[in-house]
Amino acid sequence: MAFIKKQTSQVINEDERKTPRDFNGLCVELNHEDSKVRRWAVRDLAEQLNASSVLVTRLEHEDDASVRTAILNALAKLGDTIAMNGLVACLRSEEAALRNEAIEILKELPYEVEPIIDGLLTDADSDVRIFAVNILESLRHQHVEQWLIGVIEKDPHVNVCSTALDLLSEVGSELAIPAIEKLKARFPDEPYVCFSADLALKRIEEGSR
Amino acid sequence: MKHILVIDDAATVRLYHRNILEKAGYSVDEAINGIEALEKSLVKSYDLYIVDVNMPKLDGYGFLKEFRRQEDVVQSPAIMVTTESGNHDKILGYAAGANLYMTKPTKPNELLSYVRLLLGEVAE
Repeated sequence: MAFIKKQTSQVINEDERKTPRDFNGLCVELNHEDSKVRRWAVRDLAEQLNASSVLVTRLEHEDDASVRTAILNALAKLGDTIAMNGLVACLRSEEAALRNEAIEILKELPYEVEPIIDGLLTDADSDVRIFAVNILESLRHQHVEQWLIGVIEKDPHVNVCSTALDLLSEVGSELAIPAIEKLKARFPDEPYVCFSADLALKRIEEGSR
Repeated sequence: MKHILVIDDAATVRLYHRNILEKAGYSVDEAINGIEALEKSLVKSYDLYIVDVNMPKLDGYGFLKEFRRQEDVVQSPAIMVTTESGNHDKILGYAAGANLYMTKPTKPNELLSYVRLLLGEVAE
């Protein structure tokens, strides 16, 4: 009598992990044509300590928004030098959505950002310096005010100073007053600088009462 | 009275533009990102949009692309205002649906002349 193989029904979830979840298997899936497979690979690679390099490489040509978000979150979780460099590289992207996503993620990494923020705030590209100030916006770090004062004292670009000034009007204390007054004197013909400097000074004075 | 929506994540920039525009006789509403701007544009018809580029959640390019796709919304003109002065950014702005592109920091007279131009208020 011939054996009849018992038929089993198996429901395959589209998002199910289909290959071994070792590092090499995940690297293969990271380049899979299906974005769901790539997204799962990214999520699992976030648990592997040596995954930053492959994730950064994938990020450079990933065009699916959900996979890209997963990579940025994975890099934030890994938080090593390669991961941080990958996140910082996004600030130079010509794609506003990617830049903004990277800024939002870097805001949540105060201690990883600390060693690199001086370099970003003095970058040759004024747009990168503006994004560095944006990172400080909700960075929970004790030096934020000091970094912002440094920017408005030294940066030659009006938009970098304006962005820092906007933030100082929210987080600044009396320590920032001399630098704000000097900035106003440095850009007397810029109505926006004068407006936001006056606003910042008013808010700081009101806050100190 | 013409209604203008100012879209910028920086509160000081929104207040600065509001002051200039209200003094010139316009009614101004504010949105802090592209998502909020889209929501407001669905419930109120604006005559003009002043749009920042870099904003969390939905940036200025994303807002304009989505806004221009809305067939049942009045397609009013938009001025894109940004810190970035590169030509690439201008091209992206116009491709997304901006009518004019201004580089920050804006000067009151310059802003108002662009606003009047797009609202058809410039004398012949």
